[in-house]
Amino acid sequence: MKRRSFTSWGTAGLVALCSAVGVSLGAVVRFLTPSVFYEPPQSFKIGNPADFSFGPPTFLAEEKIFVFRDREKGFAVASAVCTHLGCTVGYFQDDQRFHCPCHGSVFAADGAVEHGPAPRPLVWFEVTAARDGQLKVDKDHVVPATYRLMV
Amino acid sequence: MTSLRDVWRSIVRRDPLSTDKGKSELVFLNLWLHIHPAKVKRENFKLKHTFYLGFITFYLFLILVTTGVALMFYYRPDAPQSYQDMKDLQFVVYLGSFLRNMHRWSAHGMVICVFLHMCRVFYTGSYKPPRQFNWVIGVFLFLLTLGLSFTGYLLPWDQLAFWAITVGSNIGGYAPVVGARLKELLLGGHAVGESALLRFYVLHVAVLPSIVILLTMVHFWRVRKDGGLSRPVWKLKPAAAGPLVRIGASAPAEVALRVMPASQDKTYGLMEVVTGKPIFETVTAEEEEDTVFSYPYAFFREAIALMATVTSVMAVSLFWQAPLEELANPAKTPNPAKAPWYFLGLQELVSHSALLGGVVVPALAVIGLLAIPYLDTNPSRRPADRKWAIRAFTLFVVVNVVLIIIGTLFRGPGWALVPPWVHVTGAE
Ligand code: HEM
Ligand code: FES
Repeated sequence: MKRRSFTSWGTAGLVALCSAVGVSLGAVVRFLTPSVFYEPPQSFKIGNPADFSFGPPTFLAEEKIFVFRDREKGFAVASAVCTHLGCTVGYFQDDQRFHCPCHGSVFAADGAVEHGPAPRPLVWFEVTAARDGQLKVDKDHVVPATYRLMV
Repeated sequence: MTSLRDVWRSIVRRDPLSTDKGKSELVFLNLWLHIHPAKVKRENFKLKHTFYLGFITFYLFLILVTTGVALMFYYRPDAPQSYQDMKDLQFVVYLGSFLRNMHRWSAHGMVICVFLHMCRVFYTGSYKPPRQFNWVIGVFLFLLTLGLSFTGYLLPWDQLAFWAITVGSNIGGYAPVVGARLKELLLGGHAVGESALLRFYVLHVAVLPSIVILLTMVHFWRVRKDGGLSRPVWKLKPAAAGPLVRIGASAPAEVALRVMPASQDKTYGLMEVVTGKPIFETVTAEEEEDTVFSYPYAFFREAIALMATVTSVMAVSLFWQAPLEELANPAKTPNPAKAPWYFLGLQELVSHSALLGGVVVPALAVIGLLAIPYLDTNPSRRPADRKWAIRAFTLFVVVNVVLIIIGTLFRGPGWALVPPWVHVTGAE
């Protein structure tokens, strides 16, 4: 075999080997990425408007959301997941703020960070009235803190 | 018919141990023991040279494998069934809670010992040539130990497990670009749930232990190939010029060969002197006097260390119960929620800045550790010659320990600074 053809075969072999490794790695990553997430749906109904009282927000533990109902302004839904490291925040009626138990982040009633390590405000989710009159929350739709649904 | 004696001789093929040949053959002919040289330097037995920390780490790993396999007979990686299985292990399975305690306490012990082992290797300068790469392998073993501990933490599926892993995996999520993706791959979802439990289980019982076993083999092999343990620092003399090696000294046209300073730490193998390279004079006559057979001297000490390790873990496991809190409840965060203790230093940083504590500092720490043997080019291993290296590393150790202590003992509800002797009531 000539030296020239040896080196070009060698290069071709190397390229083939590298691409094989690359493709396999890609396949491994893709394999490990779930194609279906068996997780609670991102969009769900939470009940009739009449189920929610005025005043302090209702905490839905399963969905990790707070449902606010205001006589003038209507409905709003805030996420209870702290933007710092994912602990579940609590709403305290006496100071009208969210407090995170993990590292002490404090969020104002509109979700803005007042204190602590949280880098971003709490998010608000879109809430709409479904056709059957129930309230429907969509966690894939983040809305500004001023968003309200009047029923 | 073959006599019983011949059968025995077919299994154990070495000479009797009363002879020097038998003592050597015990080492050469045995798969498990051949990682030792036949003879070792007596000075390396000194407790204050290694504190046997590498061995203790390895023994803890053996205990973990044994007790871990035992636990696997009763554990299903399926939420919330896992929690019931843990309860069964705790209260129903014969010796279940004892095995669980042993597994838990040796896991903590291994994290501590691997760190201390790393410190001893640093302070004795044992990462210097030719051992640079064994240090690098060591750093990977250290990270794998943390990974094993972290993945194991989730398996009981109680509140402690759930929230420690939630907080821990969200710290990783802060990594730029790849963070969110990595977190999704690790958890198999967007939050800690059933797929995360299964993934952590597979990593914990199959993937990570296999890698640790492989790397440990390489690690031990290289200790041996690097000429055994480094010499105790108190035996090192101030640097002298490398010995001049001459070949054919009797011939009139005497040729001086290129001088290669011989490493005083290494015993060279035959294959290293056969080609035209200079012959190193490494083991002086007086040093040769100072070596002893691995059997029984080294094995005896290693056996003592093994028994001491097993006994201590058993004793601790008799008296201290591994924690098991209530069933994991994603809706209710315990206050405060803490990552596993060895990550509390990071969590402490994260409580000030997530990006800094979660990404920048740990990445720099790992890269720094890996690079130590290549950054520190000072050839001397004597503490007197490496004051600044020792100061820098000590600072690293002290900062780590202090942050972990603050995070573990001084952080109360809402991550407020609370001394451990003050009890906060009414925290939910
Ligand atoms: C699973 C973890 C580990 C195990 C089981 C292990 C085990 C051992 C053992 C048994 C020795 C023999 C001497 C002794 O007892 O000190 C040793 C030596 C050594 N270890 Fe490790 N080790 C581990 C992790 C590490 C780490 C984290 C480092 C450093 C980053 C490291 C670096 C070294 C070096 C450089 C030596 C040679 C020391 C000398 O020649 O004096 N090892 N290791
Ligand atoms: S998770 Fe809320 S402050 Fe850290």
